[in-house]
Amino acid sequence: MIRPSFPILHVWWDEFCELVKDEGILIFVILLPLAYPLLYAMIYNTETQRELPICVVDDCMTARSRDLIRRVDATPEVGVAAHCINMDEAQELMRRRQVFGILRIPREFDMQLWRGEQTVVGLYSDLTSMLYYKVEYLAVINVAQELNRNIKVREHQQHTTAREEQLARWPIRFEEVKMYNPAGGFAAFLIPPVLMLILQQALCLGVGMSMGRSRERFRGLVIPPTRHYKNTLAVVLGKGLVHFLIFMLMGFYMAVCVTRWFGLPQQGHFLDLLGFFVPYLLACTYMAIFWSSFIFRREDCILLFVFMSVPLLFLTGVSWPGASVPPLWKVVGSVFPSTWGANAYVRIQGMGASLGDCRQELMMLWRLAGIYFLLSCFMYLFEIRRAVGRSVLR
Amino acid sequence: MLKSIWIISRRELRAFGRRPIFLVIMFLAPLGFLWLFTSLMQAGLPTKLPAALVDEDDTHVTRQLTRILGTMEETHFVMQTKSFTEARQAMQRGEIYGIFRIPKGTTEAALTQRQPVISFYTNDTYYVAASLLMKDMRKMSEMAGLAMTRATMRAQGFRDDQIMGTLQPIVVESHPLGNPYLNYSVVLSNLIVPGLLMLVVMLTTSYSLGIEWKRGRQKHLYRIGRGNISAIVLGKLLPQTLLYTLIFWLIDLVFYSYLQFPCQCGIPRMMLWGFLAVLSSQGFGLLMFEAFPGQMRMAMSACSLLGVMQFSLAGFSFPVSAMDAPFQWLSNIFPLHHYFLIYVNQCLNGYHISYVWTNVAALVAIFLLPQLFSFRLRNAFLYKEYKA
Repeated sequence: MIRPSFPILHVWWDEFCELVKDEGILIFVILLPLAYPLLYAMIYNTETQRELPICVVDDCMTARSRDLIRRVDATPEVGVAAHCINMDEAQELMRRRQVFGILRIPREFDMQLWRGEQTVVGLYSDLTSMLYYKVEYLAVINVAQELNRNIKVREHQQHTTAREEQLARWPIRFEEVKMYNPAGGFAAFLIPPVLMLILQQALCLGVGMSMGRSRERFRGLVIPPTRHYKNTLAVVLGKGLVHFLIFMLMGFYMAVCVTRWFGLPQQGHFLDLLGFFVPYLLACTYMAIFWSSFIFRREDCILLFVFMSVPLLFLTGVSWPGASVPPLWKVVGSVFPSTWGANAYVRIQGMGASLGDCRQELMMLWRLAGIYFLLSCFMYLFEIRRAVGRSVLR
Repeated sequence: MLKSIWIISRRELRAFGRRPIFLVIMFLAPLGFLWLFTSLMQAGLPTKLPAALVDEDDTHVTRQLTRILGTMEETHFVMQTKSFTEARQAMQRGEIYGIFRIPKGTTEAALTQRQPVISFYTNDTYYVAASLLMKDMRKMSEMAGLAMTRATMRAQGFRDDQIMGTLQPIVVESHPLGNPYLNYSVVLSNLIVPGLLMLVVMLTTSYSLGIEWKRGRQKHLYRIGRGNISAIVLGKLLPQTLLYTLIFWLIDLVFYSYLQFPCQCGIPRMMLWGFLAVLSSQGFGLLMFEAFPGQMRMAMSACSLLGVMQFSLAGFSFPVSAMDAPFQWLSNIFPLHHYFLIYVNQCLNGYHISYVWTNVAALVAIFLLPQLFSFRLRNAFLYKEYKA
């Protein structure tokens, strides 16, 4: 404890050299955070479904029904891939997955419209993906509403001026604004929280592997039996620093490079991002160090941490609305930095929020960082005592 | 051969008992996730999502409008304010997912036929919540305009059916097939939980093989198996196949019997597909182990890196048809993708199996493929040592 800075540097350098030499750790610490964001961004790069093939069963066969079909075909969301004689044929196409929806226009479609009655158009969506239903419904409802307005002003009401007609068309206008993700795309919504999750999971895997290796190498101890590892604080700080610094770089690679390359939302100020990444990565690093102490074999960490990724993504409340997460799972989610980190990052980077707007998340991250830091200290204290007890540490 | 399978299986079962981590991963993880996802999405479709109302006009007409909006399924106004900035800040703090704004003078403009503009904002970084809110707010805005015309037409003496024929001549009736309540749990839990189980299967397959090299027991195992690779692999993996199949069946029972999720093909048939999914995931894990023979860590890293990606590439959240061509192709190597398509065909839609025979064949192929490369496994048994 006399010269605390020296053992820290020693531990830091030791740990760093070990890390660079170990390809198993490098995969998780370098390759995973470098490659995975690119891969994910490329998967979701198309943002949304365009020209989804649907088929049409037109029992009416009039100019008006054909007009409806042409307009549906012209939407960006869907494309009419087939015209079927009857529903049986259409269903067969659906079963073969050649089309993902059926638009059915009834025989009395045109007649009912001429009579001034309501007519019902059927839309049958394949629910292989919720997105299919969404794009089909949007496309057809938009066209139907446009046609409805046309029918209203041209056939039912007589207007003398263009302005009057416009007013009848839209007595009240409405504007629909998609904030922070104007294309309503998948990448802009899913990639930012996934990036944060990749950071946390890669840290857990990397730290877990190095901890498992220590245990294997030093007969169940997490520290090498040299005198530099006698000081708890130095060990905790030195080990944490290695991963913290590497992942700060990775964090900025994701927040700056990946975000820019793939045109993801980029509203965050540099200082705000810095103010977020410091507590987030500290919390992640010390959580990784603490949980990894339960790992006794190198490979065990893969078993333990990998499949946590998907549930953790749902617990963040970004993919599944946080307001609908039951209280119990909110509590469970709150012990993982990713829950707070994903939300804070999405807000800073996606919505241009300031650090003050994310006060709650940042406070929680600092708290988690503190708690996990203390837990790591206790863990190392215990381990060092154990090492001294077995008199391997002199 | 049967005898060596039996001996190796018994040896494997004894090994399970010595590795607590194995039991945790095998039983607790899949069942824990079953509980997590089914309770997380208990509501099926998220409802009453928090939103803000910015009513700058504040007249009895706008209040009536907002009352109607308040009765809608997805929208819950947790905040009423006159300042848009305040609402926007609440959005940035993540308290609300959407803002409905009625600007000053809306009522006046509407009454004097000057076409007022109302607007709504959704926070699309929260995609699901924003989509649902947008649907409600859009419907409401459309209705507001129609309500005005209806009032005028009623005053002019039109009957209600005439009015509806004028206002909304074409009605779109949507039929979400197979999942009429749009229950998200049916399309997500139903695939994520089996998917996680399949990931666990892949990882434990390469883990339980690799541990032999790690403990330096591979030669011993080779001797017990009398050099018959098939017998060794069967003996090692059969206990897991049985255990995982039972867990898969339990998951099926919870979904289709207890939670009453739609199942058009009957539970026994879903159990059959579950069994096939387990086999094929084991095949995938084994294939990865053959790609990196004797190197447990590399095989497991490959399994985990690919295994996590299968959740994106399977296509149940973001459809495969919307992805770029290389990813559409890549999705075919994942058992989860094929299981997903079989599930949709059989369970959700109740179609004939012949429509997805390619996917069934793909699952079988992934299961059998490691047979082709068993020589790599033999080499590994004879010559490879564990590399730390």
